[in-house]
Amino acid sequence: MLGSLCSCFCRLFNRMINLDVEKTTKIKANRNLIRYLILIFWALFWLFNVLDKLVGGAHYLFVGKDRFAQIQRYFDSIGLGNPMVTNFMLMFTTALESFALVCFLGALYHLQRKNIESNRAWFFIGIVVTLTTYTFFSIGDQIFGDHSELLEHALFWFIALLSWIIYHRSNQFNISARFSVSKKSIYLFAAFTIIIGSFTSISIFRHNQIAFKERTQAVQAKRISANKYKIEFPFLAGSSAFERTIAKFKEQHADLRINYIYTAPKPMRLGQSDGLIIYIQTEEK
Amino acid sequence: MKEKVTIKYLILIYWTFFFLTGVIDKIVPDVYPFWVGADFYTLFIKLFASLDIKNPIYATITLTGVSLIEVMTFVCYLFALFSLFRKDENSSDQWFYRGVSLSILLFSLFTVGDQVFGDRFTLLEHSIFWIILVVSWVLFRHNSLMGDQSFQLLITREAKIGLIVGIALVIIISYINFGFSKNTYANKFKPVHGEEVVEGIYKFDFPFLADKRTLENTIRSFEIHHPELEINYLYTGPNELNTKKKTHMLLYVFTEEKSMEVNGFF
Repeated sequence: MLGSLCSCFCRLFNRMINLDVEKTTKIKANRNLIRYLILIFWALFWLFNVLDKLVGGAHYLFVGKDRFAQIQRYFDSIGLGNPMVTNFMLMFTTALESFALVCFLGALYHLQRKNIESNRAWFFIGIVVTLTTYTFFSIGDQIFGDHSELLEHALFWFIALLSWIIYHRSNQFNISARFSVSKKSIYLFAAFTIIIGSFTSISIFRHNQIAFKERTQAVQAKRISANKYKIEFPFLAGSSAFERTIAKFKEQHADLRINYIYTAPKPMRLGQSDGLIIYIQTEEK
Repeated sequence: MKEKVTIKYLILIYWTFFFLTGVIDKIVPDVYPFWVGADFYTLFIKLFASLDIKNPIYATITLTGVSLIEVMTFVCYLFALFSLFRKDENSSDQWFYRGVSLSILLFSLFTVGDQVFGDRFTLLEHSIFWIILVVSWVLFRHNSLMGDQSFQLLITREAKIGLIVGIALVIIISYINFGFSKNTYANKFKPVHGEEVVEGIYKFDFPFLADKRTLENTIRSFEIHHPELEINYLYTGPNELNTKKKTHMLLYVFTEEKSMEVNGFF
């Protein structure tokens, strides 16, 4: 059963990357595989960016980023608080992103139809629109003084530029030999995956059973001096855990009034092993 | 137009604007209408102070030196762009090479500074820009090896379909965005409604548009609606309590019954 499943997977994998043909075709197949991967990446990248604009705000099954709020805050910081400025800027951004999406989808369509020239032209325009978009964003980042976003956008600009070069130089990547998969390798691969995968899955499910309740469970406060208490929250703790902890503390110490909460700053925590730590200062009612 | 020239234009435009805005940021050192930028003067003063060099002259001289290299870099890119525009590719290549060399030198100096000042995140940031510059130079120079493929904008049937789909997407999304803006813009000033999560403790979940004005209006509104309560403490929910990217800011207001006449928070 497992053997037939493996050989079926082996055949399917070989067929997917077109390996059971002679070497020259293999190179072409791999070149197209890289091209498909590049195009699928950029098409999905812009599709979800466009969807993010379409959805607007956090909803069930889609959080995304509230671009209206983000851009409005940026423009408000330079004295252009009118929401119409934000709306038109968002419209311009949407236009760039929508046309980039259309170009990559067009390139994907032509690659699938093996129209090499059209594929190249559509991909090229897609890359030009992408580079223009990130140049535009980078100018904005400097004006608004957001250097984290500047780094992020510079990286995307760089990735787009590299994508263009790799797309057209992919014929120089002869990786076909490394894609060959023998039956023995597939058996070994399956055995390792199943054994390690089982351990990993059991560990994750076990941790889920033990730890999920920590998301909302109240935490016990430890008294550290006459009127100060420490509460160490687990990593999973959210706002409900915080609220329940405070409620429990008030219930257990009905004679005390909380007059200050101090959040331990990151440098005071032990590397990455500590979650949120708060100190509660109290006084007698 | 040839594809390689278009790519050259795009690389040059990016770096020209990158250094132009960088130079403007040094000329405009503070927050003004239409320009926020980063306060490099404050940053340099603080960095030098961390080395126990309190005299501002050292930070000022260093910032001036950095700015001069940025100005020279910007001029190189501008000349490269101008030469390319005049179809003088040799001159453009030379000016770009000078610009990239200066930029790489600048970012190398920055990384040395980052190590001295112990700022590892900025070290990563500057190293990324350094490698982007190196690769930009390679791609600018060796772009032509890919062939002198010409590029023409032809209005074919597929191009028309693409154009129509693109315009339709822009119209639909813009219509939705204008509606979203109309419905949510009021959240910028509107007080947030608090929920009593524990006796005497109210939670306020601020929307993404909220800023200091929303906070002030919220507190004012809370005091008006709860004249019997006295706010004795405000606690900002730390990021660890937030549901990843969904929450903008959580605020907890600790109150107690008024026992005597007290002043308001604001």
